[in-house]
Amino acid sequence: MTALLELDTVTKRFGGLVAVSDVSLKVEQGQIYSLIGPNGAGKTTVFNLISAVFRPSSGRILFEGRDLTHLPTYALAGLGIARTFQNLAVFKHETVVNNLLVGMHTHLRTDPLSAAFFWGRARREEIRARERVEEIIEFLEIEDLRDHTVGTLSYGQQKRVELGRALAISPKLLLLDEMVSGMNQEEREDIARFILDLKDELGMTVFMVEHDMGIVMDISDHVCVVNHGRKIAEGAPGEIAANPAVIEAYLGTKRVAA
Amino acid sequence: MRTGHFKERTGQLVALSDSKVVWGWTVAAIAALIVLPFVIGNYQLTLMVSALIAVIGAVGLNMLTGTTGLISLGQAGFLAVGAYTNGILLADYGLPVWISLPAGGLVAGLISIVVGIPSLRLKGLYLAITTLAFAFIINHVILYAEGLTHGPNGLFVTGAKMFGIDLQKGKPLYYLALGLTILTILGALNLSRTRIGRAWMAIRDHDIAARVMGVDLVRYKLLAFFMSSFVVGIAGGLLSLQIRFINIDVFALILSIEALAIIILGGLGSIAGAVLGAIFLSFLPEAIRLFFETFGDPQSTLYTSYVYEIRGIAYGVVIVLFLRFKPDGLIGVWRDARKYWSNWPLAY
Repeated sequence: MTALLELDTVTKRFGGLVAVSDVSLKVEQGQIYSLIGPNGAGKTTVFNLISAVFRPSSGRILFEGRDLTHLPTYALAGLGIARTFQNLAVFKHETVVNNLLVGMHTHLRTDPLSAAFFWGRARREEIRARERVEEIIEFLEIEDLRDHTVGTLSYGQQKRVELGRALAISPKLLLLDEMVSGMNQEEREDIARFILDLKDELGMTVFMVEHDMGIVMDISDHVCVVNHGRKIAEGAPGEIAANPAVIEAYLGTKRVAA
Repeated sequence: MRTGHFKERTGQLVALSDSKVVWGWTVAAIAALIVLPFVIGNYQLTLMVSALIAVIGAVGLNMLTGTTGLISLGQAGFLAVGAYTNGILLADYGLPVWISLPAGGLVAGLISIVVGIPSLRLKGLYLAITTLAFAFIINHVILYAEGLTHGPNGLFVTGAKMFGIDLQKGKPLYYLALGLTILTILGALNLSRTRIGRAWMAIRDHDIAARVMGVDLVRYKLLAFFMSSFVVGIAGGLLSLQIRFINIDVFALILSIEALAIIILGGLGSIAGAVLGAIFLSFLPEAIRLFFETFGDPQSTLYTSYVYEIRGIAYGVVIVLFLRFKPDGLIGVWRDARKYWSNWPLAY
């Protein structure tokens, strides 16, 4: 069986800096896969490569066996890849509903002319999109925020809107970049619950970059650790926590007494 | 406050307005605008037509600058293209106005794509300068392509007839402008509630996120240029019908700046704001004139001799005051008033 997402010896250089070096990994269908590592390890760069914001300097990225390396960024949503951003990237002047509706973009077909008249299909399509968005709003429990301008919401709420926007793509693969950073305990638990629901109820595959070890160890099926752009370990959460290379990357080597 | 109001179908959620009051007022306003020419004089009617043209132009510019976030200082250029295309097809080629007017929009739209392509990677100030340069190029083309545009001699725009009615006379022109204004506003409102309008605002607020959501930036930016300039071109065509004689002086740089001023005063990104801003700036010179005239002679002569200077100063002052005290523009004032009204007598 081919993996849902496969990175094959992917390298990314920025001038002389090698941000990601020969990283290979496989994300299986229905997994919650976590990518962890110290600050500056290249985790977000891996995400930007997968979502085609950057192009790899060498190596291949395969999604359902298909090479993503030469596709334009906007084509990925149509294939079923959605992501959130480490620092908020919401459309802050618009309402929550409109933010989520942007996620529906690839599922809509209205052309400019029928949009200007809002006839027939344009109208039916909008109603259908709105129904889907209402489902997501209900799932994320943000009914009361529906018509609020996103820029006025709290950080945690905005993150939730961003998650909702990604879900509106109805993705096969959901990339979450430090979803719970800056959230309080309760918000973190909510997000963990949402991620588990997505996996269990919708069979969605979730690939997350995360600093919060609590959530990584609790819900991940598989953990991959990078440091200085290289993969240093991977395995089940329990194995990773005990891996000496990982402990060294996070805490450093023990100084040997002279 | 509005209470006890429930929506039962999703169709109601995507409607332009679910409020019977809003629809009632809209119908009343349109009815009033239809009756208006029978009540007011010729001079006021001319002012109204100018205001309607400004509304169309502002709603068009708002698509590009307000919704998509692409600043354009090329409005005068697109207006000129629309006006000249309409004028040339109408007066020199004798085509009927129902062809020449949309053709003006179409040509302006197509040229805007040519301007848009090199502008795709530019934002903010750089884009403003590119579009400004475009307006100058258009000016030069008009001046030197004498065979087509009559160059410095200017162009007489006459012969806009439909069903034997002269569309350049007061009332018919007014109704033509009114009809096109309503169509433009409706079209813009509809676009803003479909994937196209949302893609535009996504580009404005966060272009990388827009791309990741599946928005093809090249396509949607060019579409914004095209749709916006199409509408502006139509406004230009109407303008040429109204003033009957056009030359490059009509489409000076100040026009582009006024257009930007209108949508900033109205409230960037808001269609209602663009409409309010256009009405406000169209009648501002008139208000100033009346203001000066109430003081009698020395002041009113002062006004007539320095009319352009005084107008320029007034625009500047109004823009500065708005940016300082009400950056949301007129639409912000309107929202505050509505909130106050619906919450009264409670403070919030």
